[in-house]
Amino acid sequence: MERKQTATQSQKLMVFILTMSLYGLATLFTELIPKFQIGIVEFSVEYFLFIPLVLAMLFDPISVALGAATGELVFSEIMLGQFGGLGELEKFVTVTIGVYIAGRLVRNPKNQKLVGIAAISGVIIQQFLGMVVDILKVQVAVQDFESVPGLPESVFVTEGFSFLNDVLFSGILFCLLPTLFLVPKLYGKIEPLLGMQPRTEKTALGAINLKVIVSSLIAFAFAILAEMLAESGLSLIDWEAGWAESKMAFAVGMIIAGILAIMIIMVMKKKSEEVHS
Amino acid sequence: MEKVMRKLSDSILDKISIDFFRNQVLKNAYGNDDTFIAKLDPRMLLIWYVFFALVPWFVSDIVFLLGCFLLVFITTIMAKVAGLVLFLFGLGVFSQTGYLFIVSLLFGGNIETVEPLLILTLKVATVSLASVTVFSGLDPDRLSDGLMWYGCPERLAFSISYAYRMLPMLMEEFQNILLSYRLRGNAPDSTTLFGKVKYLIYQIQVIIHSFYPLMLNTAKRSRTTVEALELKGYRYAAVNKEVKKMKLSALKVTYQDFLFLAVSFLWMAVVILIDTVIFSI
Repeated sequence: MERKQTATQSQKLMVFILTMSLYGLATLFTELIPKFQIGIVEFSVEYFLFIPLVLAMLFDPISVALGAATGELVFSEIMLGQFGGLGELEKFVTVTIGVYIAGRLVRNPKNQKLVGIAAISGVIIQQFLGMVVDILKVQVAVQDFESVPGLPESVFVTEGFSFLNDVLFSGILFCLLPTLFLVPKLYGKIEPLLGMQPRTEKTALGAINLKVIVSSLIAFAFAILAEMLAESGLSLIDWEAGWAESKMAFAVGMIIAGILAIMIIMVMKKKSEEVHS
Repeated sequence: MEKVMRKLSDSILDKISIDFFRNQVLKNAYGNDDTFIAKLDPRMLLIWYVFFALVPWFVSDIVFLLGCFLLVFITTIMAKVAGLVLFLFGLGVFSQTGYLFIVSLLFGGNIETVEPLLILTLKVATVSLASVTVFSGLDPDRLSDGLMWYGCPERLAFSISYAYRMLPMLMEEFQNILLSYRLRGNAPDSTTLFGKVKYLIYQIQVIIHSFYPLMLNTAKRSRTTVEALELKGYRYAAVNKEVKKMKLSALKVTYQDFLFLAVSFLWMAVVILIDTVIFSI
């Protein structure tokens, strides 16, 4: 049995569901464990990224990565009604990339050193990409970003600081240590539950190659593009220039159209109710 | 200092109570399927959402943004969203921009900095309230049906339905494991400040430890789920057009939906009119 560790479709679905439920549950809790600040250092249980990290090191990384991102999206964003639209795409992509790369890094889960390095680099990748997107987001949302006094520096400082804070605090306490604790404990125990062989040096998917990096970069570029849509949209939907002179007429026209629409719908509704009764 | 710390840890402990949290989430998910918003067609509501999730990002006009904000604020009230969700929303919006403002003061910002930040806050608030309305106000099954109609991956629609059904069970199981760990463990004394820190670390440690049995249990459960799904031919049904059609045949657009869209449209038109009137004066 020296096949590569590939899973059947249904096993992939199992891994997906497993990660989704676990990470989703964990993100639900992090949403409400409050952050507390001591001085400028913010102690927040930023996220339980250790769960997908552990699972990505034991199972098929891409299913775990997608499962984790979906779990977060569904449980903590959609279920709590905090879905932020396009902005969530960024989180989805960064979590996927971070977890996937960390999972691919580990060829042998018994190698503690490698597990540790993979765990912390997964966090660093995810947080760094998130920071880049966040900075871009503020630059796009606020017009004349550069001309507002004090804003550019403060964005760079707050984002850079929260990046360091997340990596050093949440990264080590909530990702590195739990991963080091859980991987050896679960290795060889959880795989049979899904009907799989544990990952070994020989069955691992192989080291990270150029393809992984390139596709991650493309995915990230896509995420940034989604955020940047706003900027290009500024020229596409130019509210000021297009009908500046006849804006009043336009607005009045819109109001009349709206009132007419409501009236027509009311009449139609009445009529259909009469027919039914 | 001592008082502040006690207050802090008390409020944290109150929050950590899983029961409270579970109730809020369940209430949010299942508790309001009789509101006006919940009865609307998910497809129409998603169109409405796309407008209020995208347009505010492109516009920097305060009057227009205020109008959008008021409208989504009203719809949020109509959707009867759970208190916890609204609290988290407020915390999220104001901690983000408030923090940014304070730091920008350090770098020589002044009152001028307030205006762009106010606009940013309004944008963020409008977009998030719109999503609170749609994703909290709608029944999860209807939401996933609506998403599926627009060609969202079946995986996502499945995940939403699955999450809503499994969450209560998962939370209960997690709570049981957590409680059994607490029963067996010996919590450190939390009377002194140092003890409080130790107590918090202990709590977090217990949570992390509880994920070990939880992971194994969930692995078993997800295997059962997938096997049950396979028995019913889930993977083939998921990509089959006819199955999808049958599944979505329950969706029906009514006059109520058109009325909702038309009223929103009228509101925005009035806002634009007011906006132009203010600017022409």
